[in-house]
Amino acid sequence: MKNAKILIVDDDPDLRQALRLRLRANHYETINACDGYSAIAQAYKERPNLIILDIGLPAGNGFVVLDRLQKDDKLSTIPVIILTARDPQSTEKLALRAGAAAFFQKPADNAELLGVIKATLAQAESQTGLPS
Amino acid sequence: MNHGSTNVLLIEDNPGDADLVRLRLVESNPLVNVSCANRLSDGITSLKEHAPSLVLLDLNLPDSQGAETFRRILEAAPDVPIVILSGQDDQALAIKALHQGVQDYLLKNGLTSSDLDRTMRYAVERQALLRSLEMSRKQQLEFKNQFLSHVSHELRTPLTCIHQYVTILLDGLAGEMKPEQRDHLTTILKSVNQLGAMVRDLLEAARAESGKITLELQCVAIEEIMRQAVTMMQPTASQKGIGLEVGAETSLPFVHGDPDRILEVLINLIDNAIKFTPAEGAVTVQACRVPTDPNFICISVADTGSGIAPEARALIFERLYQDPNAVDNNRKGLGLGLFITKELISLHGGRIWVASDGASGSTFSFTLPLYSLPKLLFSVVVHEGRLRSAIVLLRVDLRRRSKATTRSWKEICRRTRERLERCVYLDKDLVLPLVNMGGSEQSLFVVASTDMERSVIMIARIREQLNKLEELTANGDFEISAAPIPLPEASPEPSLAQQVEAVAERVTNLTQAAVGGKNSSNVESNSERTMP
Repeated sequence: MKNAKILIVDDDPDLRQALRLRLRANHYETINACDGYSAIAQAYKERPNLIILDIGLPAGNGFVVLDRLQKDDKLSTIPVIILTARDPQSTEKLALRAGAAAFFQKPADNAELLGVIKATLAQAESQTGLPS
Repeated sequence: MNHGSTNVLLIEDNPGDADLVRLRLVESNPLVNVSCANRLSDGITSLKEHAPSLVLLDLNLPDSQGAETFRRILEAAPDVPIVILSGQDDQALAIKALHQGVQDYLLKNGLTSSDLDRTMRYAVERQALLRSLEMSRKQQLEFKNQFLSHVSHELRTPLTCIHQYVTILLDGLAGEMKPEQRDHLTTILKSVNQLGAMVRDLLEAARAESGKITLELQCVAIEEIMRQAVTMMQPTASQKGIGLEVGAETSLPFVHGDPDRILEVLINLIDNAIKFTPAEGAVTVQACRVPTDPNFICISVADTGSGIAPEARALIFERLYQDPNAVDNNRKGLGLGLFITKELISLHGGRIWVASDGASGSTFSFTLPLYSLPKLLFSVVVHEGRLRSAIVLLRVDLRRRSKATTRSWKEICRRTRERLERCVYLDKDLVLPLVNMGGSEQSLFVVASTDMERSVIMIARIREQLNKLEELTANGDFEISAAPIPLPEASPEPSLAQQVEAVAERVTNLTQAAVGGKNSSNVESNSERTMP
């Protein structure tokens, strides 16, 4: 099987780099976006298997990105994992309602995050084969 | 009053007294506008219509007497200054009135117009002052919370960066580490985690203080949460050479609470216990019924640590308290943990206390309310003082298809329940709490105040809503059914509470029969429960 491609969306370059290192070490292919606008553009161009999305972003925050992804037939099947510094009590439900597959507050536990990435990818793969 | 027209509402049933007071009022201010009410109920109606700037209140009225009179008027108009005009010189009652928010207590006898005028003016001023103080206190609290929420968010970003790169180094993603370097990095990681916990506590304490913590109440199997907490804290305990276990206790009833918050409370108490216990010590978590209070369960975390001095015992639940004698100074926190714990428990309606003899350790105990179906049902199945004429139990069975992870399946069950709550009328239907989630099958129940005929409409509404719930339809199937709940005989006139209890018992039997045979979940009353 080809390595899954993950789009990392975060406005902090150091964090993007750290996530890239971590994901590559786990045999994922990664691509980046630093704001909401380029996140949509990258998703459209690269068709990643999964998106890790921050909420506080310039040029369209994470909710705007989620909404755009959900409304696009070609992109709505890509699972999104939210990774944000924001308070889960106020944002977790909103994010899950908006269509996110999972929510993590920064700093997230690496093993747990990787576990959810793996499970989410497996689930998405099994569903694309099914008629929806 | 001196300035312009003032609206005064006089609530007084004696016409002679009313005329006298009216005269005194007009003497001091010809422009005063007095409206009169001779019953409290009329006065309260008039309050809403005329929005008076002050209320003059007699306490003994045809429809209300004494303290009850000012209590009701304060409830109806908390912002209007109230001055009591009484025939009795009752000091105790006067003090009580002032404590509850009345501005003054005057005697009708020998009342002069200038005294009355002065009293009224000061009352209006004091009330306005109080209101503005209250406003600015609220604003300050709001500002503080916004500030804390902002700060904790901003602190998290650099914290995450440190956490990420330290773990990258530790995991060898940037080359092998020498053992000594690894040791140092482990120390950094420990501190980073501590910092993360402090940032979390900061926000949580601010939230607790402003009443912004919300509980998601469920029917909770407490021993499961105790075991979960002990499993999670086991590594910390064994690292320090401390034994940590759940004390033996069988047959515990269900608790009505938020499982995540109860877990948080237990972890906090266990973490504290480990912190203050030297190596070779032991920490035990236990639960038992409270003989004196049958509606609560008592859970305790006991350690064999250094104990708590009597003078400190009263302080430890306060914000920012830190024990100067902590065994392990390396692991100091912000001093918010027990404050948050206390707040979480009082939100549940329980209480927390500590017992310590100073030598052989301390025991923190807290109570949580038992899950009581009759209590939950009462407001739903009773209408206008009587049991409703028909009640139906709706059942929604969810079955997970193998793909969903346990974590997401639990979330799906929770969201399905939320969706159900939006399909029902909250004053006449009750979606029963989820029990023991985790299996691949989950039954949800709704007690609905309707008959079988009309329940069809409700089922159609629920089906429509659940079909729209994509995460559910993508990961599982659901099935909806309904059964009537037989109502108890109204004769030989059992009390309403007994009737509701009978309904609760039938609901329990029906839900148990529905899920019986499966080992996944069951809702039952707490009265006679034995653990399998």
